[in-house]
Amino acid sequence: MVRHPLSFTLNKSQDKLLKTLLTARPADTVKEQKKRTDDRTRQTESPGGMTVLQEPVQAAVWQALNHYAYLDAVFLAERLYAEVRSEEALYLLATCYYRSGKPYKAYRLLKAHSCSTPQVRFLLAKCCVELSKLAEGEQVLIGGVLNKQKSQDDIITEFGDSASFTLSLLGHIYCKTDRVAKGAECFQRSSTLNPFLWSPFQNLCHLGEKPDPDQVFRLSSLQISSIALPPPSVSPAQNPSHRLDTALMETPQDTLELNRLNLESSNGKLTSDMSVSYIDSSLISPETGSLLGNTVSMASAGSLLAKQNKPKSGRSLLGGPAALSPLTPSFGILPLDPSPGDPTYLQNYSATMETQTTGPNKKSVSRISQSKSVFSQSGNSRDVLPIPFNQSQTSAPHTSGSPQVLSPSMSGPPNVQPRRSSRLFTSASSTAKENSKKLKMKFPTKIPNRKTKCKSTKTSNSSNLNESLDILRLDPGLSLPDTKIQHQRAAADSVMALLRELGRGYQALCSYNCKEAINILTSLPPQHYNTGWVLTHIGRAYFELAEYTQAERVFSEVRRIESFRVEGMEIYSTTLWHLQKDVALSALSKDLTDMDKNCPEAWCVAGNCFSLQREHDIAIKFFQRAIQVDPGFAYAYTLLGHEFVLTEELDRALACFRNAIRVNNRHYNAWYGLGMIYYKQEKFNLAEIHFKKALSINPQSSVLLCHIGVVQHALKKSDAALETLNRAIGIDPKNPLCKFHRASILFANDKYKAALQELEELKQIVPKESLVYFLIGKVYKKLGHTHLALMNFSWAMDLDPKGANNQIKEAIDKRYLPEDEAAEVDDSQDSSIMTDADDTQLHTAESDDVL
Amino acid sequence: MADGENVAFLPYQFEPESDPEDAAEEPRELRPQQEVSERRMATPSKTPPGADPKQLERTGTVREIGSQAVWSLSSCKPGFGVDQLRDDNLETYWQSDGSQPHLVNIQFRRRTTVKMLCIYADYKSDESYTPSKISVRVGNNFHNLQEIRQLEMVEPSGWIHISLINQRTNEPISTFMIQIAVLANHQNGRDTHMRQIKVYTPVEESSIGKFPRCTTVDFMMYRTIR
Repeated sequence: MVRHPLSFTLNKSQDKLLKTLLTARPADTVKEQKKRTDDRTRQTESPGGMTVLQEPVQAAVWQALNHYAYLDAVFLAERLYAEVRSEEALYLLATCYYRSGKPYKAYRLLKAHSCSTPQVRFLLAKCCVELSKLAEGEQVLIGGVLNKQKSQDDIITEFGDSASFTLSLLGHIYCKTDRVAKGAECFQRSSTLNPFLWSPFQNLCHLGEKPDPDQVFRLSSLQISSIALPPPSVSPAQNPSHRLDTALMETPQDTLELNRLNLESSNGKLTSDMSVSYIDSSLISPETGSLLGNTVSMASAGSLLAKQNKPKSGRSLLGGPAALSPLTPSFGILPLDPSPGDPTYLQNYSATMETQTTGPNKKSVSRISQSKSVFSQSGNSRDVLPIPFNQSQTSAPHTSGSPQVLSPSMSGPPNVQPRRSSRLFTSASSTAKENSKKLKMKFPTKIPNRKTKCKSTKTSNSSNLNESLDILRLDPGLSLPDTKIQHQRAAADSVMALLRELGRGYQALCSYNCKEAINILTSLPPQHYNTGWVLTHIGRAYFELAEYTQAERVFSEVRRIESFRVEGMEIYSTTLWHLQKDVALSALSKDLTDMDKNCPEAWCVAGNCFSLQREHDIAIKFFQRAIQVDPGFAYAYTLLGHEFVLTEELDRALACFRNAIRVNNRHYNAWYGLGMIYYKQEKFNLAEIHFKKALSINPQSSVLLCHIGVVQHALKKSDAALETLNRAIGIDPKNPLCKFHRASILFANDKYKAALQELEELKQIVPKESLVYFLIGKVYKKLGHTHLALMNFSWAMDLDPKGANNQIKEAIDKRYLPEDEAAEVDDSQDSSIMTDADDTQLHTAESDDVL
Repeated sequence: MADGENVAFLPYQFEPESDPEDAAEEPRELRPQQEVSERRMATPSKTPPGADPKQLERTGTVREIGSQAVWSLSSCKPGFGVDQLRDDNLETYWQSDGSQPHLVNIQFRRRTTVKMLCIYADYKSDESYTPSKISVRVGNNFHNLQEIRQLEMVEPSGWIHISLINQRTNEPISTFMIQIAVLANHQNGRDTHMRQIKVYTPVEESSIGKFPRCTTVDFMMYRTIR
């Protein structure tokens, strides 16, 4: 078993950590996991003198952290650090600061002290990045310019299990500092090291790289073996002794609680003695048979619970898909599916993953558990062996314990079930239904389960129990058949398969292969399809295809199932902006800004809302606010730029678009915005260049092609323009503007018949667009069919009861009439006829004519 | 008497009200007004209010650009100055504090296209402070201002639209500076009240190509990338 390099240096604090570990189990950060690993690996090392003093404090700190009591955690950690001044305590304090959302505190604290251990340096680097001190962060990670810089391999060896996260962070720094190639390399390494990590892949896609999902989301043979090996490798021998300590240390209050709980919960069958004895039993595990008599009822209760859980979980796998979204890492513990992937193994697995190759992230754990669910779904025999029973039991504490500890990070429905089940359990403690199964059980395991259950219901540090559980589990685990290992592997494989699919879809979207992206994402299994993440990206794909009604449908579904989701809502708001649905847009804006005032998306939505109301000044303020809350949010710059274009502050608009490109040079909307401005300034060459740049990023956009066609026409390259427009129509036959511009170019080139035909087709697509009739009228005018021309003009007027009429009218007056001065008489007649039709609107025009 | 002038100007005063939202109302406003101005010598009737400029803004054909300009006044009572004139609140007002003519100067940083001005006056509240004769002058600076509009109002109560469209070219004027001069008040009042002044520029087509605005959502959503 590979030990973490730290494990030897830290041994003094090891024991404290141990406790920490135990309490910290459900928490979800890298460091914690790492810590846990450390603990595991170092369990055998002898506790130092200080241990006794520190351990409870550290445990308390971690417990406070795990219960989001940051004030308490910080306070205690400060005390501890004042007392001990060890790097471990420093790290703990910094972690408290960081987790309480004050990275600058952690940064200054760590900065003021020498940081030698990788975990501390990682945290410092993380803080640096958070505070945008990129150079410093880089220096912390790979050494300064003066020293020899560390290569990625050095990092991997130095940071060991957390190397994948370190590399990901480093890649982030590189990308922010415009060293894209190096950044991409880092992300690549990171995802190879830990294929469970999504963000490196995502970042690679954003960089315009095309990582092969099949390569990325693949467990190397080493990783597979690590999955396979774990149970034995956790060295059962080491654990008991250590656990013994912890159990002893833990007991005092816990047992009291336990007792109380037991009394409450189990029909009085369990006595306080029992719980105490239980602890003993866990320590002495094999001999606890004597307790059996008492525990039977518990066991049966547990098994009952397990039974209840099972079918439910089976259903919930289909029914409660939201929890399985790959972006919500912590759901993993939830899936009620008790059977195949025994949580113990999970833990062991993750532990070994940590120690061996990959990063020990909470994520990985959750992924695995997710995989479990996937796996179980695939029906790989959960009932195969007696094992499942044990598993189900162990899972019970998990489920019951996790909601309380973890709940914030989990989404709804699955959450409910475990709770209910635990309640069920407490009430239905004594049914003997499961006797047969019970017989197969090993008592020691059973007992701890029971205990965990009580505890977890009580929210106390169940991790401790879990730990003991682990250990107990291990004993039986020695005799466990290989099937478990296979289950593990199958589970991991199925996650990987899922990730590969998602990766393919995401990559297609990032390369603006939207139709393919939609296909891939739509073919996901329903429980994944119906998640906010997937639907948001499908909506995004429709959006990029300019199929706004489809996009709106998908996004409103997202709103329905995950009303708390902000990611992608800016796209939704732009969709609504395009569709001019002001009511929906303002409702969305209100909801999001009420919900989260610190996310740029909410302010973008608000800005779009006001932009649609043509209150551009307010919209500008909101977009500026979006930038303020997140200067790295490229789309906010773009939207601000568009707003400045609308208020004709072109210089500021240019600056905004350039900023957007600075933040993300693959943000084609900003390139488009630049082209648009140059077009307005009649710098057609520049406009074409920028439009083409945008097109190179998003080659499938018919709107972009249409603009390029218009620019080419303006550059007198009419043939090229027609060709471009034909391409655009080929990509999206439904785009009316392409046809319209093609018609107008044909018209300008005196190809009236062709133009007319084009317009007739166009009329089928958008029968209510007055512009079409306007252009038809112009064509007829050219062809000399005056009455047809007039008929179309008046249709154009009628179809335009709102604001645009002035312009059409002016266009008729200015562009149309002066054109044929020979026909002036006709024209004045025309306009008088039209005046009859709509005299008020044409009144001034007429008088102008007279003048 | 500037009545002859009035006849010439009044149509322009209301022309911008070809506000699509109020298209139906338009004839009512246009025609009576013309008659009114002809009959004015006999029985002066009240100047009818124009549409709320906010509605115009919503149509997207015009845009308020007063915020881009530097505003100054010939005189004002403390606390009744530019802020009150521009605060979008019809309850507050600018009150001059000096000799006539009272001037409002609107200076832009660059040559700016202006389609119309909207002034809010309320005879019911302001009585003898209500302006009755207003002149609009444009130019590059204070020294070359030229009057382009002069209008008289009779007990106005509401928005008064002053079109700045050049009669000959039928184009909105393009200018660095606008000066609004209050030449006379009702009942020979000395100081004047103005509650709001808004300056509108026509909105340029955001669509590409030299075409007028499109009208249907189906069409419009392909117009631009955002």
